[in-house]
Parts: sequence; structure tokens; C-alpha cells
Amino acid sequence: MDNLSEMLKGILEGIVLEIISRGEIYGYEITKKLHALGFQGIAEATVYALLLRLEKNKLVHITKKPSDMGPPRKFYTLNERGFEELAAFWAKWDFLSERIHLLRTNGGENNV
Amino acid sequence: MFSHEMKEKIKQFAKEQAPYYLEEAEMTYMEKLRRRTGETKSKLMAKLAKFKSRSETAMEAENDMILYMSDYMKDLMEQGLSEQEAFERAKEELKFRSETTKSADLQERIVAHYHHMDIADYEAVGLFYGAFVFLGISIGALVGFIGSGGWEMFLSGGWIRTLIGAIVGFLIGTGLGLLSNAIIVLKRKK
Repeated sequence: MDNLSEMLKGILEGIVLEIISRGEIYGYEITKKLHALGFQGIAEATVYALLLRLEKNKLVHITKKPSDMGPPRKFYTLNERGFEELAAFWAKWDFLSERIHLLRTNGGENNV
Repeated sequence: MFSHEMKEKIKQFAKEQAPYYLEEAEMTYMEKLRRRTGETKSKLMAKLAKFKSRSETAMEAENDMILYMSDYMKDLMEQGLSEQEAFERAKEELKFRSETTKSADLQERIVAHYHHMDIADYEAVGLFYGAFVFLGISIGALVGFIGSGGWEMFLSGGWIRTLIGAIVGFLIGTGLGLLSNAIIVLKRKK
């Protein structure tokens, strides 16, 4: 779907955390996963920047493995803090999607 | 997979661009800290700089970008693009664009400027201007008045010298006001 980038801004971190939670993965592999999921509009730079942020915020565990390009390749897994952040993301998502669903089905009546 | 020349180009690009991304990632991290502690970004950055090796972090971000860009280029080449075309596309996509860092920095500088600007400085500058202008006009007019021949000559053409004296006095007063302003600014800068 086109023009999703604005809506995705707030939730991309959660999506990437969920992808990482499924098993060890490296940077560009995450981008490919996102594309395979149908998020074609996400700029490559966004994922690179997001990974730097996850690392800075200490949400991921990193394992370095040799690569054919020279520098070691980083493989990401979630650490405890990352899992907590992911759980918080899904809790927010559930709340939001429920509210949006209510709004869509009956205009939010009786649910103030 | 890539030619030696292309590897160098990728390295060069990563060296140029990775610091911007790193700075932005650090900014986000710093923002959280700043909110918690209430300190300004510059103070926190200065503190942080003491405890970590910048070069190591920067080198890692650079290496990450080299690999990320290479993977992306390989992907593009598998889709049929030449090495050069893939590089140009990747370069375009991975070029740092965010303005948030720059605008936040500018905002912080403005806030810092007004934060450090003492209200007494403004008052002093205003009083200096006022005082010098009044003194200048008074002395200029008096010199013109006396020099033209006093009260007797004032009504028969001497008033023009008094007026010229007042104007010159006003200009000298303004000039001295500007000088005092400059002195205050330089003192505050130290």
C-alpha cells in the first residue's frame, strides 16, 4: 500500500522489535522482511537509523560475525529490555486498535 | 562482489554519512536523558564525551553502513542494475536528510542565548545610549550657543550654530552609546 510512511512513523520501531524477537537477524535482512510483509514504502535509511537507535537505547543484544565485505556483521536479538519495550508496544497497539475499531463500527458511541 | 574502486566509494560515503545518523540516534537518546535530568543537550553531551570512546562508536556506525549499503546494492544488482547504478540509487536512498537535528540545535542555541543574556545588560545598554545622547545634545547645543555669540546673536542667525551643535552632539552621543554597547557585549563573551 502506498503513502504509509506517515502512519508507520510511530509504529515502525514496534514492528522491527517484533521481527527481531523472532530470531537472530542482521540489518538489511530486516528491510527485506519489511518489504516481504508489504511495507514497500519504507526508506532503506529509516531502518538503518532505527537500528542505531535501538542499539543506543540498549534494546538489542548484538553478536558480531565475520562478513565478506570486511567489517564484522552485526546480528540482532532482543534483550530483556527490548522484550519489555515490545510488550509495551503491543499493549498500546491493542488499546489503539480496539478504540479505532469501536470508532469505525459504531462511531465510538457508549464508549466514552 | 564489488570492484576495489567501488568498495572505496562505499567506504567514503559511509564515512561521510554515518556520523549524521549517529548524531541523530544519540540526540534521541540524549532527549530522553535530558527530559529526566532537565539539563541542556550540550551539558549532557560534554558529560557523555568523558565516559565513552567516540571514535569506536563512530567506526561501528560506519561499518554498519558499509554492510547495509553493500547488501542493498547487491539486492539492486540482482534486480538488474549495474554496479554504478546500484551505488547511485543506494547513495540517494541512504543520504541523511533529517532536519530535526539541525533545527533542534538552532533552537537550543537561541534558548541558551536568551538564557545567558542578563536583563541588567539590556538596561545598562539603554541607559548608556540615553545618557550619552542627552549629554551630547546638551554639550553640542551649549557650545554652538556660546560659540555663536550667546543670546544676542541667537535670534539673529546664531540659532543655526546651536542647532548644528545639538545635531553633532546627538551623533557623538549615539556613537558613544554604540561603543558602550560593544564593550558590554565583549565583556559578556569572556
